[in-house]
Amino acid sequence: MRLITHNMLQCHVKGCNANNFPLEFQEVELEQEEAEMNEDFLRNMLTKLEYDALVSTCLKLGINDLPATMPADAAYNDEFLQILHRVILETHVKSGKMICPNCKHIYNIRDGIPNMLLAEHEV
Amino acid sequence: MPQFLIQFAQQHEEFRLPELEALATIENVQMTYNPSDYSLELWGKGSSWDDLIEKVKEHPERWPQYLHTTFKFSVVTFGGTIEMKDKPQIINRFSFTGFLGKIDLKNPEEEFLLIADYGIEPDSVVAHTFYMGRLVGNGRRDLIDKFNVKKRRYIGNTTMDAELSLIMANQALCGSGKLVYDPFVGTGSFLMTCAHFGAMTVGSDIDGRQIRGKGKASIYSNCEQYNLKGRVLDALVFDVCHAPWRRINGGIFDAIVTDPPYGVRAGAKTLGRKDPAKQATEPRMAVEEGVLAHLLPDYVPPTKPYEMTEVVADLLMFAVKNLVRGGRLVYWLPTVTEDYAIDDLPTHPCMELISNSEQAFGQWSRRLITMEKVADWDSKTGLGAPSGDMNKSTTSPKRPGHFGFRDRYFAFSAVENAKRKKELKEAYQKGGSEGVAAYMKELEEKKKNSQP
Repeated sequence: MRLITHNMLQCHVKGCNANNFPLEFQEVELEQEEAEMNEDFLRNMLTKLEYDALVSTCLKLGINDLPATMPADAAYNDEFLQILHRVILETHVKSGKMICPNCKHIYNIRDGIPNMLLAEHEV
Repeated sequence: MPQFLIQFAQQHEEFRLPELEALATIENVQMTYNPSDYSLELWGKGSSWDDLIEKVKEHPERWPQYLHTTFKFSVVTFGGTIEMKDKPQIINRFSFTGFLGKIDLKNPEEEFLLIADYGIEPDSVVAHTFYMGRLVGNGRRDLIDKFNVKKRRYIGNTTMDAELSLIMANQALCGSGKLVYDPFVGTGSFLMTCAHFGAMTVGSDIDGRQIRGKGKASIYSNCEQYNLKGRVLDALVFDVCHAPWRRINGGIFDAIVTDPPYGVRAGAKTLGRKDPAKQATEPRMAVEEGVLAHLLPDYVPPTKPYEMTEVVADLLMFAVKNLVRGGRLVYWLPTVTEDYAIDDLPTHPCMELISNSEQAFGQWSRRLITMEKVADWDSKTGLGAPSGDMNKSTTSPKRPGHFGFRDRYFAFSAVENAKRKKELKEAYQKGGSEGVAAYMKELEEKKKNSQP
C-alpha cells in the first residue's frame, strides 16, 4: 500500500466519527519502488491530500524529506513535486498495522494489501 | 467546419456513438454528427461512382498539398463486396487528382479511401452511397488484443472482456492525472484498462482472495504484465457499503468504473448476517483460543447477499458523495429484458445520464450506464427512488428489471438446462456419439457469445 492511499483512509467502525484520522502505523515494513512521475496527477491530488497528516505520518516512519508546510507554489515547484512523488507514490507499506487513534481498531496490512473489513459487531 | 466519415467496428454497435462522444470530450473536440449517416476527411459523397467523381471535382483546391507525397488508394466496402480484380479500375478513375508522388502500398504518407456503402440489409447487392476521403486515423483495435483475457496471466470467472473494458475506460473519460476507483474490483480488469489511458487507479473488493490471487497470478502480476505498476495504486479489502475513504470536500474520484457482481458464480455480498437477530453487537470470543474472534489473523466477518436494486442505489449514492464535479460513474446494470423500463435506473439530482447502451443476451441483458456528476452534493438530497415498492408484490406496482436479478438469472439457467438435456438426448438418438459431439460443439459456439 502506498502512502497516498493511507492519506485517503480513515477508521469507519460504527460510531467512530471523530479523531479517526490518520491511522497510526505500527510494525511496518517499507519498500521503495520506482514509478514514472506524473505531474498532472500530483497536481490533481494537492488539494485532496491532508498534508499535515502526511508529514506527521512520514516523520513517524523516519521519512523527513517533506517540508513542514506545503510550498505556496507547490503545483509548479519541480523539486517539491519530485519529493512528493517519491514519498506518496514510490513508498510502499509491505506489511504492518494501522491503528485507529480513537477506537483502537487494528487494520492489518499483508503482502501490501490492507484489510479494511470491519468485524461483525462494528458494522 | 471540416467533415469526417467514421467507420465503426460492427460489434457492440450501441456503444459506439456514446464512446465517440466521450472521446471528443476527452480530447476537447467540438463535434456534431449526423447519426443517420452515421476517420476520414471527407472529400465527396455521391449516389454512384460517377456522381462521387463529380462531387470530388468540385473542390480541386484540396489536391495540391498532396501532389508529391507518397500515397495509395484503397477501395473499401461496407455491407457488400467488390471483387479484387475490379478494384484497380475504380481507382484509375480517380487519376484526375493528378498526384505525382510515389505509390507506396505498405507505408504511404497519405491513404485515400474509396468507399461503397451497401447498407445494413444482409442481402443488398447494390451500393447506395459512395464516399471518397483522406484517411486521418485508425482505431486502436490492437488494444483489444493487448488486453485479451486469454493472454492475461490472472483472470477470474467474471472477468470482463477486453473490448468492453476499454470502452468503459473511454466512457469514464480516463486520461492523465485522473484518479479512478472500482469498488467491485474482482481481478482488476478496469484498473488495467483505465490505467492504460493514463489514469491512476485504485480498487476494493469484499473478497480479498480475488485481489491476492493464487501463487504468482494476482492483480499485482497483471500490473507487471502490462507494465502498469506505477499507475495501479492499490487494491484494498473492504465492503463498499462500509467504505473507509476519508470524506473530501468536492470529492476524491474523477471516475468510478465498475461491474457489480450478479452472476451464477459471484453474487454481490455485504457485511452482516442474513438474520439480523443473530448479528453480534459485542465482540465474540473465539471458540478455542480464548481470544476475541475478530482479532485472529484469519478472521473473516460474516456476509449476506446484497440485492441488485440495493447495490445500484448504494453505488449511485456513493458516486454522488465521492465523485468530483464533472466526474463520471460507469457501471453495468444486469436486467431482465421483459421487465426493464428506462425508469428502473435510480436517479439523483446531482447526476445526469450520459448514455445507456444495451448488450443483449436474450431473456436478460446488461446495460452500460454512464452518468456524470453535474452539481455539488449537499446532505439534504437523497436518491430519486426507482418506481415501485421493491419489498411488496411482484406484479404491481412495477419492480425494476434488475430486482432480485441473481435468482431470476438462475431460473433462466434452469429452463435452459432442461432444454439442453432434451436436445442432447435427441442428438444422441439421431447421430449417436458423433451427433452428441456435433451438438456439444455448437453449444460451445453459442456459449462463447452469451456468457457474462
